[in-house]
Amino acid sequence: MKENVVIIGGGIAGMEAARQLLLLGYTPIIVEKKDHLGGHVARWHKLFPDMAPAGDLVRRLSEAISEANIFLETRITSINRLSNGYVVMLSNGVSIPCRAVLGASGFRLFDASKKEEYGYGVYNHVITNSDLEAWFNGAEDPRIVADPKAVGFVHCVGSRDLKAGNSQCSKVCCMTAVKQAIELKERFPDARIYCFYMDLRLFGKKYEDFYINAQQEYGIQFIRGRVSEVGETAEERLQVKAEDTLSGKPLKVQLDLLVLMSGMVCNPEVAEFARTIRLDVDSDGFLKSLDNVGGINRSNQPGFFYAGACTGTKTVPETLAEARAAALDIHRYLLGK
Amino acid sequence: MIDRIPSGFHPFVLPFLAGMIFVLSYCVYGIIKILVQLPGEDRRRFYLSLVTPKTVLKNIRDIFCDCLFHVKLWKRNRLLGYMHSSIAFGWFMLIVLGHVEVILFLPHRIRLFYYPIFFNYFVAETDSTIQGSLLFFLMDFFLLVVLSGIVLAMVKRVRSRLFGMRRTARPSLTNQIGLYCLWAIFPLRLLAESFTAHISGGSFLTVPANWVFRQFLGNDLNMLPTWWAYSIVLGVFMVVLPFSRYMHIPAEMMLIPMRNAGLKIRNARKGFARVQVYSCPNCGVCIDACPMSVNKANIKDCTVYLTRQLRRGNERRITEISDKCLLCGKCQAVCQVGVDGPGIRILNRAERNYALKPDYSSIDGTAIGRASAGGRVAYYGGCMTQLVPSIGRSVTSLLEKAGIDYRWIDRDGGICCGRPMWTAGRLKEAEEIVRKNEELIRATGAVTLVVSCPICYRMFRESYHLPDIEVVHYVPYIQALIAEGKLQVEHDDICYAYHDPCELGRGCQLYEEPRQLLSQVVRLSEAEKNRAESVCCGGSLGSLSLSFAQRENMTRAALENLYHSKADAIATACPLCQATFSRYADRPVRDIAEIVDLHAKANKQNKQAI
Amino acid sequence: MMDFGFKLSKSATIDLDRAGTERYEKLCALSPDARTCMACGSCSATCTAASFSGMSVRKVILGLQRGQDVRPLLSACMLCGKCTLVCPRGINTRRLILNLSKSYD
Repeated sequence: MKENVVIIGGGIAGMEAARQLLLLGYTPIIVEKKDHLGGHVARWHKLFPDMAPAGDLVRRLSEAISEANIFLETRITSINRLSNGYVVMLSNGVSIPCRAVLGASGFRLFDASKKEEYGYGVYNHVITNSDLEAWFNGAEDPRIVADPKAVGFVHCVGSRDLKAGNSQCSKVCCMTAVKQAIELKERFPDARIYCFYMDLRLFGKKYEDFYINAQQEYGIQFIRGRVSEVGETAEERLQVKAEDTLSGKPLKVQLDLLVLMSGMVCNPEVAEFARTIRLDVDSDGFLKSLDNVGGINRSNQPGFFYAGACTGTKTVPETLAEARAAALDIHRYLLGK
Repeated sequence: MIDRIPSGFHPFVLPFLAGMIFVLSYCVYGIIKILVQLPGEDRRRFYLSLVTPKTVLKNIRDIFCDCLFHVKLWKRNRLLGYMHSSIAFGWFMLIVLGHVEVILFLPHRIRLFYYPIFFNYFVAETDSTIQGSLLFFLMDFFLLVVLSGIVLAMVKRVRSRLFGMRRTARPSLTNQIGLYCLWAIFPLRLLAESFTAHISGGSFLTVPANWVFRQFLGNDLNMLPTWWAYSIVLGVFMVVLPFSRYMHIPAEMMLIPMRNAGLKIRNARKGFARVQVYSCPNCGVCIDACPMSVNKANIKDCTVYLTRQLRRGNERRITEISDKCLLCGKCQAVCQVGVDGPGIRILNRAERNYALKPDYSSIDGTAIGRASAGGRVAYYGGCMTQLVPSIGRSVTSLLEKAGIDYRWIDRDGGICCGRPMWTAGRLKEAEEIVRKNEELIRATGAVTLVVSCPICYRMFRESYHLPDIEVVHYVPYIQALIAEGKLQVEHDDICYAYHDPCELGRGCQLYEEPRQLLSQVVRLSEAEKNRAESVCCGGSLGSLSLSFAQRENMTRAALENLYHSKADAIATACPLCQATFSRYADRPVRDIAEIVDLHAKANKQNKQAI
Repeated sequence: MMDFGFKLSKSATIDLDRAGTERYEKLCALSPDARTCMACGSCSATCTAASFSGMSVRKVILGLQRGQDVRPLLSACMLCGKCTLVCPRGINTRRLILNLSKSYD
């Protein structure tokens, strides 16, 4: 009989790890609280830098793991330690004995309404990066007007912000904002588009090309200054205030749409659960890897492994690479080497 | 009753006399000094109040309620109330009854003011009358009352929790001496009066005690030493009094009439502030009340330690304590004496030089009121509201639904109300901002000014002079709109816990109106500590030095207090509270305006009017 | 003096070797959080006094680091505290201004 490996979370990390574990001859069991696989990526439209549809990636992964055991809309109620492994109890009454568990619980999108000054949920034309992707995917959104004259993107919403409870950089938002600004400009060629940033962190392969393109081909304006207030004019247009730090002057501009780049934050429920099974939680609230260079996949407990954004912010390719590495690490562990 | 000692004098009264003369001269000197320190206008006001029958009556009532019966402490904790009032009122009655005895039996001795204190030593009982035995009974009764208070005081030193106090102030050396003297005075009095009871007479306490003592002592040799000891302890207590917390006894007698005369603290160290400082009884009720005390490191930053450091003149600590405080005002609300901790702190901040000389002349009058097309009702959101836009939006939405022809005068930004400058101790600069803002508001031609930020509202009430403009907080304003039928509201079953913002509750005494308005639209559940004892959110601008990290624990503690209500969500009425709470709250935090707006409909007739 | 049609002006270069940063160091001793400013400009954008006076706490910190007199920047500050509220690094900007005023005594 094939050996069980429980995977907590059915996002791309869990799916990719399951695919590799199947190839290695194990029975991966994915436990997912939502009613679908693919996590945040399933909601996304296109992925940088190749602009491949996110749906394709999720579909490919789903097909590859058709032989895995998948529990949707299922939560983990408890995990008990045995001398040589774990028993994972599920909310549907199933209990699974296994020698290895993979944590792939991912991240939580920052709740933009917590940054009250941006008026998410208060004003009619303020949306998040995630809302915009859903709209790109065809969802209706009355907040996006038919012919916006001006659109703003606010970087670092809930990232690098002690007041929002997350002092870390979310890594992907700068690039996502550039990508979304280009996509939006393609839909609304007449709109002026502004990106309000503190630092542009475009570190990955081809990211800089996007930046150059955004400037050269799409005329997107980059304003170095963090938006601090959003008001509304009598005509119900948004009035955004920032400092144009490069010219050293306060700046205001009227917009028809404001997109907040909600950051990736830890899931406090995961941290709480982790503590009950004596898994270390890092100072940033994410799960703590054994070390952050050579042991990102490992936890402080033998047989408990990590992949993807449960240990910190990750890009999609990083997550997939980590999932593969985790599968191999589990294989090595189960062989007893 | 006859004089047992013809001269009416014995040397053992000397320690008491010396102590009494010392403390009286000290107090007379102190009163004169403080009166001289008062600004002329305040002094006149004070004298006038002393001959105004209404204030005189209020003074007498307050002195009885606060100093003798400790009504506020009774409300806090019955045991604590009994302990304090038994000692204070019991002692007061012993002194009064002592005088009654002298007047009744030996009227020619009333000139000797030690006589009522040591009456039982100097007299011999000749016959027993009903009057006499009633007096003696009362004397023994009140002595018993005081003694029971003393026993409780001893218990409190080891078990303060029984008295509803988690923490008490650490006593200083002089406080300790005073405390032990106070503990010793009444048992010694009991002993002394018991030893003399077969001569002077006594009642249910002293007579049996006398009988017991005589059974195994058989002589009167203990009599004189005990009276000596009683007098010495009294004397020591009197000498220590001005240097210990017991100074609050005479100081409070001064504080109450001064407060009733409407005096305000005008100098950090002199006059009324001095009276406030000396009135602090060091009971330490403010320690548990202080929102900062959730951080162990900040326990010594509450008002009881401020008054102590002010008396010691420790400038480094005075600055530190003054700057750190959130100015939430809870210490003053719970203080039995009502020491104005926040007021003293603001004035101490004002002592410092402010090298940046601000100049507000460049502020353009047209900046405010730009969006001023509209009627005579003006809405002033204040600067903090721009950071919590849901408040301004909800207030204006309600005004629109009610068909009010209003204008939002600082929609595109205005200037600060001046309160933050004031609390930073920059009184002159704050005054300047206030004058500028008055000018800007008058220029809008408004007749009614609706304010939503309690920080602004308090400043408008206390420091603005806008004679032709009615300044009103939105809560009563919206209540009136509903009462007039201009707004229709629906009730919902969701349960809210209302957090009293410091500036609205303790600052402006608006406790019931927000609750009445909220309960018209939702269900209300009370936090553990509410109204005047509401816990500051920790975000207050009152503190100049608390860091963001230090405030986190305070906010979490304030939230725990609200969670106690088991409500689904939290309601408040201050942009600063809302922004602070939302950071850490596990449930929604909404402004009253937002909640009411969710449940309000326009009256159909209004729509036609528009 | 003869007018040559041009003036000798101070160099437009910031000479960090000559910039006096004693006041900045003194301020950092009292308000160590001043060092954590990342110049995002939130404080300036939200500032109640900015539109009247060009006030900016960001510029104040930068100016001190460059050894400039920053007092004119603070001339209309009302200590309203909005800058403290929005600072993503949690700098107590209000205390910073009060501490700075001490150094100009």
